[in-house]
Amino acid sequence: MLTDSLVSDVLAYARERGADFAELYVERWKRRALRVLNDEVKEATSGVEYGAGLRLFYGDEVAYAYTNDLTREGLLEIAQSLTGLKGQGGRVDRRGRGGLDFRKAAPQGLHAPAVPWEEHDKRYRLDRLREGQAGARVAPEIRQVESFMLEWDQEVLVANSEGTWTEDRRVRTRHIVQTVAQDGGEVQTGFYGPGLSVGLELFERFPPREVGRTSGEQAMTNLRATPAPAGTYPVIIGNAFGGVIFHEAVGHLLETTSVAKKASVLSDKIGEQVASPAVTYIDDGTTPHGWGSSEFDDEGMPVERTVLIENGVLKSYMVDRWGALRTGYRATGSGRRQDYTLAPTSRMRNTFIAPSDTPVGNLFEMVDFGLFAKSMRGGQVKPGSGEYNFGTQECYIIRHGRIEEPVRGAMLLGKGPDTISKVVAVANDLATGPGMCGSLSGFLPVEVGQPHVLVSAIVVGGEAPNPAAGSVMR
Amino acid sequence: MSETAGDPHGSGRRMTLDEAKRYVLDAARARGIAAEVLGSRARELTARSHQQRIEQITQAVQGGIGVRVVVDGRMGYGYSEELSTAALDWMLNEAIDNAHLQTETDKFLPDGTDVGRHDLVGDGLAAPLESKVRTALGFEGTLREDKRVKQVMFASYTEREGDVTLGSTQGAEGAYRRGVAGVMASVVMQEGESLKQSWDADWVRDIRTLDPAHTALDFTQRTGRLLGARPLQTGRYTAYFEPKAFAQLLAAFWPMWSGRSVREGKSRLAGKRGERIASSLVTLIDDPLLADGLATRPFDAEGEPGRPLTLVDDGVLTNFFTNSETARALALPNTGHAARHYRGVVDISPSNFYVKPGAGIRMDTGVIVAEISGVHAGTNSISGDFSVQALGLWAENGEVVYPVENFAVAGDFLTLLMNISAVDAALKWEFMGRMAVGTPTIAVTDLSFAGV
Repeated sequence: MLTDSLVSDVLAYARERGADFAELYVERWKRRALRVLNDEVKEATSGVEYGAGLRLFYGDEVAYAYTNDLTREGLLEIAQSLTGLKGQGGRVDRRGRGGLDFRKAAPQGLHAPAVPWEEHDKRYRLDRLREGQAGARVAPEIRQVESFMLEWDQEVLVANSEGTWTEDRRVRTRHIVQTVAQDGGEVQTGFYGPGLSVGLELFERFPPREVGRTSGEQAMTNLRATPAPAGTYPVIIGNAFGGVIFHEAVGHLLETTSVAKKASVLSDKIGEQVASPAVTYIDDGTTPHGWGSSEFDDEGMPVERTVLIENGVLKSYMVDRWGALRTGYRATGSGRRQDYTLAPTSRMRNTFIAPSDTPVGNLFEMVDFGLFAKSMRGGQVKPGSGEYNFGTQECYIIRHGRIEEPVRGAMLLGKGPDTISKVVAVANDLATGPGMCGSLSGFLPVEVGQPHVLVSAIVVGGEAPNPAAGSVMR
Repeated sequence: MSETAGDPHGSGRRMTLDEAKRYVLDAARARGIAAEVLGSRARELTARSHQQRIEQITQAVQGGIGVRVVVDGRMGYGYSEELSTAALDWMLNEAIDNAHLQTETDKFLPDGTDVGRHDLVGDGLAAPLESKVRTALGFEGTLREDKRVKQVMFASYTEREGDVTLGSTQGAEGAYRRGVAGVMASVVMQEGESLKQSWDADWVRDIRTLDPAHTALDFTQRTGRLLGARPLQTGRYTAYFEPKAFAQLLAAFWPMWSGRSVREGKSRLAGKRGERIASSLVTLIDDPLLADGLATRPFDAEGEPGRPLTLVDDGVLTNFFTNSETARALALPNTGHAARHYRGVVDISPSNFYVKPGAGIRMDTGVIVAEISGVHAGTNSISGDFSVQALGLWAENGEVVYPVENFAVAGDFLTLLMNISAVDAALKWEFMGRMAVGTPTIAVTDLSFAGV
């Protein structure tokens, strides 16, 4: 997107004025969004986001600036303003003035779309969304069907004063169907929204009619559901997006952003048993076409598959450049950022609990009374105390190993290290789902995943009185 | 000569926002198309202190231009951060293409007037950089004076200043500048085995009214009192929502008053104007012109001048937030609450949204809800359900007895509004980006708490 000599001059300018390390991130991000409500197009938007972020290190102190003005004048202006803020004093390096010898790396197209944007016009997209709408109308009580289609085509360039020059292109497509069911004064919702690092073949991988039907049936289930009983009892968390609980409860605690400042309850615990032996937890940036996959991270480093926890023992953190500098741990290709407006931090990519050989049915047989949280909404965590919470989208009561009536409004909460030590069993049916994860470096596409997981006790916030169940494990 | 390689949009000289606005409006007029252009440029400065060093400093300028067009009653959108003629031409073409996709043919751009140029910042953010950096360092220093503070994740000073310019082929024309400054921090506090992490921020319009030492003391006091918390017994209690907690609920449930939600069948308040929907102690107001308001703006994203709006008057539903489209569709007045970021579409947003202070609260027995979290996942503004994680204090006969933790508070928001039994007299504001929410402490009877 920019010439070598311009990038080189900007980086050299910063180094000459005292920065120990300089990195330029350049991004052109084309985005299209389509929103359809009850078969009518409510919003159709297209745009280009275009800007650059300059990050300078002075020891482990960071200075960051960004701009939409990608001319020589615009880029040198932010370099000047940043170095001016930090003043002189660092090492002065005159090597590479006007000609850093970049080692260039380009993407191999590992996640490249099979059906690119240009293959079909906007009318084609609208027709697919209408199929999803039709699929969602599973009952007369379905009053609203809302569909979204998001198309992202993000080109990035990361170059730094160590000679890194990495280009990457990330094409992502997502189709979301939200339904509202109403019966008298009762209103409930359903949600399903598959997304991958693919082009328009998303519609082949997830036929729109099926996406709609899943969302519609979920809304109908919730309409029939009664308020969830409040209290503390066993929970079986469904597979795929169910993995959000460990994303919140454990994943965020393993990012060096918290770990380096000893602000995570899992700091300094490499080699220690931090979870039930049933838990192996992996963050994999290489998953082919994963929603959170890319070939390089936003610091220009190739992504990798990082085993975080193996049989309950902590093996690795997720480490970005700053985290590596602060902690000495090896960088894991985990530096990510929403866009050019934010400096990267250590973040998750596609994170999941590895499957066992146990059939799902065995997990249910272990529960006398409990909650089956089949589908989740998002959640949040405080790494310093480990406290997390997350909402549920579709839940049922388990009695004597059987899935019985649906319940709604359950909020699951607890402390991450406690919950992960209470994992009794992990099933064999790994699946993943897409989400948007928000943290210091903004909102990022991530996959969460797991097989069905049984936790012996979680606090369930709900509206109905405590069922006063005693021992509930068989 | 441009140094931008491989640029499909070409490049050329970068225009100013006003030049880009005129360019797009002229191009639309030449093609006989109704268009509205919203441009904005935001400047941000953040200095983040960690262990008494400036760990990160961010300086930024970001801006772009958004267009919406109406072609044969169909509406389409586009935006660009690249202000070259080629990029703006691409944006306008995409917007027209997007418009052709629409089936509804009743779209329109509102007739506008010249609403003037306004400066809401003045010298409100004027101070030497060194003093702003010292503000961040001093803020962290005061936080660390409390021995229970185990870790300051970050403590920062941030200022944001934005220029907005609007114009349309239908006569709308105007501009304003506004800005805020604030301190924010995230701390982990410890006493014995008990750990609590909190995040807080304090924002002002005029930097001279910022008092970081006072904010830091208030912050450590409010987080520190939660240390040593005990589990809460599951049950139904009276809740005393402190302003920080209740503001989050209001911010999650305001879409119930959005004309768009009403129109799209997503508000349970639809059709209830004139009915009692809340305790008679509740009056909800939005005032875009509030002096010193953190979200004050002279006009909305369509150029409609701002004015105060009462949404709930002594418990009776009186109004919904509207923009030009929802006002016409619902046959209601346009309240001037159109909101748009140049990258997005015209929607609706409150500005300075608040609960009118009441006569005061006499505390009895119940749970003082100090903080709630999990709001984005635990609330549903369509169904009205909420179930959120909370931290707080257990009170008996008006006395705080001990802190409580690890529980959830759940219910239905409209039932909660009906069960409000007292509204405190002192209003506190939380700044939430596009909107500011003000509320006193609110007492609610008979709420469900899930603990052990």
